[in-house]
Amino acid sequence: MKRLKQKISRTIIFLLLLFLAISNLYPLVFMFINSLKTHTEYLKNPFSLPNFQHLAWENYQTMISQFKIFNLFKNTFIISTFTIIFILLFGIIASYAFSKLKFLGSDVIYFLIISSMFVPVQVTIIPIYMLFSKLHLVNTYWSVILTYLGMFLSEAILLLTAAFRGIPDELIEAAELDGAGYVDVIRYVIVPMGRPAIILCIIYYFIVTWNDLFTPMILIQDMNLRTVMVALAALISRYSGDPTFQFAGLVLAAIPAILVYALFQRYIIKGIGAGATR
Amino acid sequence: MSWRHIKSIQGILSVIPVLFIMIFIRFYPILAAIYRSFTDWDGLYRNNWVGLKNYIDIFTNSPFWTLLRNNAVLLISVPLQIVLGLFVAVLLYEEVAGWQFFRTIVYVPQIISAVIIGYLFRIAFGLDGPINLVLRKLSLDFLAIEWLGHSASALFVLVLCLTWFSIGWQAIVILGGMSKISPDVIEAATVDGANFWQRTFYIIVPMISRTLEYGVIMSMVWTFTGIFAFIYSITYGGPGYETSTIDYMIYTKFYQASANYGFACGLAVILLIIILILTIAEMRFTNKVSEWE
Repeated sequence: MKRLKQKISRTIIFLLLLFLAISNLYPLVFMFINSLKTHTEYLKNPFSLPNFQHLAWENYQTMISQFKIFNLFKNTFIISTFTIIFILLFGIIASYAFSKLKFLGSDVIYFLIISSMFVPVQVTIIPIYMLFSKLHLVNTYWSVILTYLGMFLSEAILLLTAAFRGIPDELIEAAELDGAGYVDVIRYVIVPMGRPAIILCIIYYFIVTWNDLFTPMILIQDMNLRTVMVALAALISRYSGDPTFQFAGLVLAAIPAILVYALFQRYIIKGIGAGATR
Repeated sequence: MSWRHIKSIQGILSVIPVLFIMIFIRFYPILAAIYRSFTDWDGLYRNNWVGLKNYIDIFTNSPFWTLLRNNAVLLISVPLQIVLGLFVAVLLYEEVAGWQFFRTIVYVPQIISAVIIGYLFRIAFGLDGPINLVLRKLSLDFLAIEWLGHSASALFVLVLCLTWFSIGWQAIVILGGMSKISPDVIEAATVDGANFWQRTFYIIVPMISRTLEYGVIMSMVWTFTGIFAFIYSITYGGPGYETSTIDYMIYTKFYQASANYGFACGLAVILLIIILILTIAEMRFTNKVSEWE
């Protein structure tokens, strides 16, 4: 009797989770299905499956050949990659210093950097824009990369410093007795030991920068340098547009982040669960 | 030169790049925004001290109170997220067949760009969109309204969207908090005859109160600062200013011709103060709990 009751309750839980999973995935499926229809098919019934004899691949062809979506991918990819490289480069050495190389005032500097974490980018964007336009950085990848560094470095340092604090000092001392210098310690002790936090940074900031709209929209107006999300936001803002064509672009733009998540989701789940970021 | 001396020089040199970026991309712009909020700055040459004029304008002669109302309405999403997120976390905690797969899927909305999610919601709630089609099929024509055309229903769609987007985040955070509870505690309660609801509300919730507080505050901060792309792709802040928020207005002001950036900076300072209050509340919570532990 008790076992039966337990079995029923577990089945109910399973069904509830299944319902939730469907509610999370259905919008994506809806978008994909309709991206393979023509506009008239979509207007007739948005819920039907596409006509498998005549899938409307031309939506994707136009996205690629006329909207040049892969050129936009390249722009976002460059910005994301350099943002991540600099976050890691500067973030790792600074976090190493904050966790292992105490110096006079290091706690104050650490506090200053971390306390700026919650300041939203909207507060700083107008002065940043004016500063960059004086330096001729507006409409360059650098404007967005630098703004991202300002936004994300404090968060990354919080995460990396916490991770590096857990590395035993004895390991570093042993390496130094073997003649390891500053760079060797970082390369052979800090980075390998802090690997999970570093991987979390890479994945998390890839997804965040890939999906972001606000910063690149303000700082890059040049049509050839725009990021994917900025270009798509401009495309979908035309109410008259053909939704099936727009769906095709959105499907393509969603793929990189989904792919990265699918490959590395356990790091993200663990990091978010530990209260790493929002 | 002593070993310790070398180490502290290495330490100082290590933080210089970060400090440099922080000064130019964070601290300077924050101070500049505060200073400019007291001027009639147009971004170029006009830059006269006007005292509190921008703030008086904001409070008396601008849609500010509508913006603040919208921010407040959107905060309704936070308790919804927490309750639903807790529910999902408790379901996942039971570790039924396939729970790891479900855990992965629960977080999926967070991976999708707000531009994409926003567009899907805009399409879904369009006048002839899927939602209205279904409502008409069910002969509920009176519900098949122009959702995004009226302030109350448009805000409802935004709350729905933010909640749908955030349940997974809350669930994963809460699950992280629950993983620190010893399984023995929950098992002991089960043996003593506590049912599912009793276990949830008398054992799990009190033990993860710190996590819940973190989830509430972070989500509130996020609702004030992180939802620009949702508003942009669902309603453009309209009709009128009926779904604009404070941060959205900063963007609108940025693009307006005859820009008064001093005014926009004033809004930025107000936003900063709101965030500061929330952050201090979060830190107070943290201290209280760590004392208790």
